[in-house]
Amino acid sequence: MDLQLALLFLQQGVASGLVVGSVYALLALAIVIIFRTSEVPNFAQGEMLMAAGYVALYLFVFRAMPVWAAIPMTIVVAFAGAALFRRVVLTQVAHASGSPVNLVIATLGLSYVLKGLVRQTGFGDTPRSFPALVSTDSIMIGQASVTRLDLAILGTAVIVMAAFFWMFGYTKLGRAMRSVGMNPKAAQLVGVNLNRIHTTIWGLSGAISAIAALLISPKLLMTADMGSVVTLGFAAAIVGGFASLPGAVVGGFIIGIVEQLVGLFVSSRAITLAPFLAIMLVLILRPQGLFGGRVVIKKV
Amino acid sequence: MSKRAPGRLSALAAACFAVMSLPVAGFAQEPGLTDKTIKIGMFAPLSGPNMAYGFDVANAARMYYDKINKEGGINGRKIEVVLEDDRCNANDLVAAVKKLVERDQVFLLNGGSCSAAVVAAKDYVVRSKIPLIMLNASGDGALYPPTDYIFGAFSISQYAVGGAIVDFAAKTLGAKKIAYINHDDAYGVWNLEGSKADAEAHKVDLQVESISPTITDVTAPFFKLRAVNPDALAIVTYARPAALLIKKAYELGFNKPIILSVAGTANLSQLAENVGSKDALKNFYVQDVLADLPGGPKIKWVYDMYKEAYPDLAAKPDHPQAYMPYGIPSAMSIVNALKDAGPQPTREKVLEALKKQHFDSGVMAGPVVFGPQERAANKSTIFIKFDGTNQVLQPGVYTSRWQFKG
Repeated sequence: MDLQLALLFLQQGVASGLVVGSVYALLALAIVIIFRTSEVPNFAQGEMLMAAGYVALYLFVFRAMPVWAAIPMTIVVAFAGAALFRRVVLTQVAHASGSPVNLVIATLGLSYVLKGLVRQTGFGDTPRSFPALVSTDSIMIGQASVTRLDLAILGTAVIVMAAFFWMFGYTKLGRAMRSVGMNPKAAQLVGVNLNRIHTTIWGLSGAISAIAALLISPKLLMTADMGSVVTLGFAAAIVGGFASLPGAVVGGFIIGIVEQLVGLFVSSRAITLAPFLAIMLVLILRPQGLFGGRVVIKKV
Repeated sequence: MSKRAPGRLSALAAACFAVMSLPVAGFAQEPGLTDKTIKIGMFAPLSGPNMAYGFDVANAARMYYDKINKEGGINGRKIEVVLEDDRCNANDLVAAVKKLVERDQVFLLNGGSCSAAVVAAKDYVVRSKIPLIMLNASGDGALYPPTDYIFGAFSISQYAVGGAIVDFAAKTLGAKKIAYINHDDAYGVWNLEGSKADAEAHKVDLQVESISPTITDVTAPFFKLRAVNPDALAIVTYARPAALLIKKAYELGFNKPIILSVAGTANLSQLAENVGSKDALKNFYVQDVLADLPGGPKIKWVYDMYKEAYPDLAAKPDHPQAYMPYGIPSAMSIVNALKDAGPQPTREKVLEALKKQHFDSGVMAGPVVFGPQERAANKSTIFIKFDGTNQVLQPGVYTSRWQFKG
């Protein structure tokens, strides 16, 4: 490979990696906010994204609803669905057993239910395209070629993440969420309603998944299995540090860029392998993740 | 007691005669065969999400058997079909095959529309020494290395899919360098092997990128292939990655011919919708395995026969399903082999006759050709220029040179 081609590949890899990485970052954020406050990895996060995508497709394409109505309605439906799951199912599972393992199994159950529901509608039988809301015309940044849609995806993801960080850092709700993540009993003692906060966090996680779905769906083709993209969100969360919000974002961009560079410089076959190698490396060299702080061992 | 002895003796003699005569009759007739009937065990996906792969294919084979029965049958025997639902699922398929062989005692098997599922029945079929003639599955995993019992790929062998594309790109488009993108699974390995045989024959430079069928972003593989400045892009993937690649090619202004393999063409109108713009299909060709455009004059008789046999189904909007005609050459092969096996057919005689089949079904792009080492019926394809709405048949039939070498 000559130098000029290597430079082209490098620029393209970074540009494309930032775009897809921004969606992985959103997904990682959705995973981490639930994990930080309840220590439950939500294995239905991908299917929440998939289901939200199909809700948007139904409203926007099959019901011909205008964009300005379809997008907020999708986000509201995703928020309500996730919050309802937390309120109705997880609360009952927690009361019945209290074991985190049962909660994890409940999220796995949700993933199968959502996939089954979409398949049942018949919309998931064939790959479908979600119309891009922004033009897919190419523009050059340096030697890298990206579309206007790519830039819109990156821009929207960054704005959503910034808004979320502001909410988490500077609002009363955000402070309550952080306190529940740090010490739920102490938070409850000072008047924080744990149930309300957990339900809101699940709802927010659903809403972030819906935004990720709206961004990524025009680039992927929609199928009932599109939720598998969440594996890369988990990879991003692990690389960044499973309990760190900034780590999740950085991890998303790292996974996106590594994926592209491995595909361009090593082999297309290695694209699906690259995130898992990154996870292995992080787990061996820095188990708490890049932004995870010190490893805390809980004594039993 | 002594008075009754002669009666007992004659009863004993009669019983001995009956016992002795039973095995004789049993050996004379193979399972599923009487003087008046031949029982054929069929299996296909009759329900579930993969029904489109085989429901109407099985219907096509059945309507052909009905036609043969109306014409007097085969050497005076009428064909009886026992049909089972395999749901394109390996477990269901093997269960269906065992039921047909052990309980229904069929003479031979005619089934399989999904390759991965039908390959799962290979060991049982070979152990049971029962002929299996697939419906429309490629099923290369069960066809090679060849056994005496399994015949298939009436649609096309995966080995031939890529080779026929290379043949078309080299002969018709004059391509000297072909960017070739396939899957990194067994199907990808098989079609690449066939492509290499044809690339070598045409002295074509084949630049290959193999991708996962679940890939979400095709930027990297497409960029690598574009960087080699190919004369044509051959996409030998399933429908979803294919649509992503065509879309990416359009976004990046790639204007060389794009050829899509038959594996990605199940629903062309959906493909046109998925790539987002008709401009993405300006220089676009799709591979097909029929002798003509679907419903075209050469194969109109198949569609007419279907309408007559299944008027209620034909009135429904999604019928006949796209792969319906593929059932005809499979049924034709069985009928021909049964005829060739003579008035007292055995499974062994039919298997020997199958190995010698060489005929033009009039339905598929190429003839059905089996041989001592050849178990895949079809290696030929046609190509259609598709602009998102119209389909224009390109002249010629393109055949892979690939041969099993052992």
